[in-house]
Amino acid sequence: MFEQIVDAAPRFFGYYNVLFLLQALAATFLLSLVGCVLGFGFGFLLAVTRRTTGRRLLPLRVLTIVFSEAFRRVPFLVTLMLVFFAFQALRLETSMFTVALVSVCLIATAFIAEIVRSGLASVHQNQWDAAAAMNFTYLETLRYIVVPQAWKVMLPPAFSFFVLFIKDTALASQIGVVELTFAGKVLANKGFPAALTFGTILVLYFALSWPLARFGQWMEVKLAPARTR
Amino acid sequence: MNFAVDFSDIWPRVPYLLGGAWLSLQIAFLAFCGGMIIGLFGAMAKTYGGPWLRRIVDIYVSFFTNTPQLVQIYFIFFALPDWGVRFSPYVAVLLGMTLNAGAYLTQVQRTGFTSVRRAEIEAAETLGFTRMQSVRYVILPHIMKTLFPPLSNLYILMTLGTSMAAVFGVEELTGRAFNINSETFRSVEVFLVAAGIYIVITFMATLLLAGVGRRFFRAKMSYF
Repeated sequence: MFEQIVDAAPRFFGYYNVLFLLQALAATFLLSLVGCVLGFGFGFLLAVTRRTTGRRLLPLRVLTIVFSEAFRRVPFLVTLMLVFFAFQALRLETSMFTVALVSVCLIATAFIAEIVRSGLASVHQNQWDAAAAMNFTYLETLRYIVVPQAWKVMLPPAFSFFVLFIKDTALASQIGVVELTFAGKVLANKGFPAALTFGTILVLYFALSWPLARFGQWMEVKLAPARTR
Repeated sequence: MNFAVDFSDIWPRVPYLLGGAWLSLQIAFLAFCGGMIIGLFGAMAKTYGGPWLRRIVDIYVSFFTNTPQLVQIYFIFFALPDWGVRFSPYVAVLLGMTLNAGAYLTQVQRTGFTSVRRAEIEAAETLGFTRMQSVRYVILPHIMKTLFPPLSNLYILMTLGTSMAAVFGVEELTGRAFNINSETFRSVEVFLVAAGIYIVITFMATLLLAGVGRRFFRAKMSYF
């Protein structure tokens, strides 16, 4: 078996295969990066909506709770299939990459909304009260009082969610998005030894995810408040 | 646009889906138990082991937590047969999930081990507890309180992770949803119902785990 791998390796690491793998790696990275950045935006909106108090906004608050509770409890593969078939049913002509991006965005929004919510909750109630006493509006309170204190609490878990999601996007290969796992399947179908192809894919994922995970740990230590450092 | 939502083909097949959900829960439970055992040994090795043992556990944990579970199972299912190691899809998925869970659970349990204060272990030593006894009577009760919430979180995430088994043809909830989809072509409806079942079973698991955690381990958990 090992001779077979050594035998196939020069052909496997040919110019076009390496290029194909690197493009797939970039697609994997972009899929979760763009999804999570958009997810952070929408999640932030959701969390901010959830903290409002007006009676007229009550249905909106209920909606945000339902959204983030539901999408945190549906597997990524099922969300992917739902979005895929919903797009098909609505006759929307889009690329598979867009379908995957929308699914990533939905899930990321739900999870990051919870992260942002706990970040906002980490700011002491006195700060909110003081801002209210100084006649700050809700948005001014967020802009000048809460977010400057809360971003340190929100960023590390949001980042580690992003790193976690790099690995979950492997499932997007199931609908035919050309990302790293799909590239592995293509190369394995071309007749390269499965151990070689999937071994390489595992190494590439590791090379992408490990430095980011280490950076996340470093950031977590760096941003931790002085008393827990 | 001539699309109408029609559940009439799906309702008679809901029991079939629920059977799949039962299999999902089984896979998640077995993989979690296996992962707990690996994680316990891993955490013990990292806390008390020598430098080499710790290094090996480190490599295991960082490899499995930094690569996708799906590709790990691909490797087990497609690459190992070349060496003559063959698994059925069910066993391959279970093995992959267990190894993956073991890595995450090593990390989680280790934080529990380090959260036990030095003085408590020294007190146990003074009382003449052996290492195993101090693990059983001093460390475990302490860490269960701190660890139960993250563990139950991970358990829920693993229940969702079992949907990956569908890729390998295991007929659990998602796999059966795929089957119904190819029989009836009511795609959106099938996956909506499957998503609903996932929401219900994970919600029930959350309620149950929060109840157990509050009652037996004095863990601070919310039901929602």
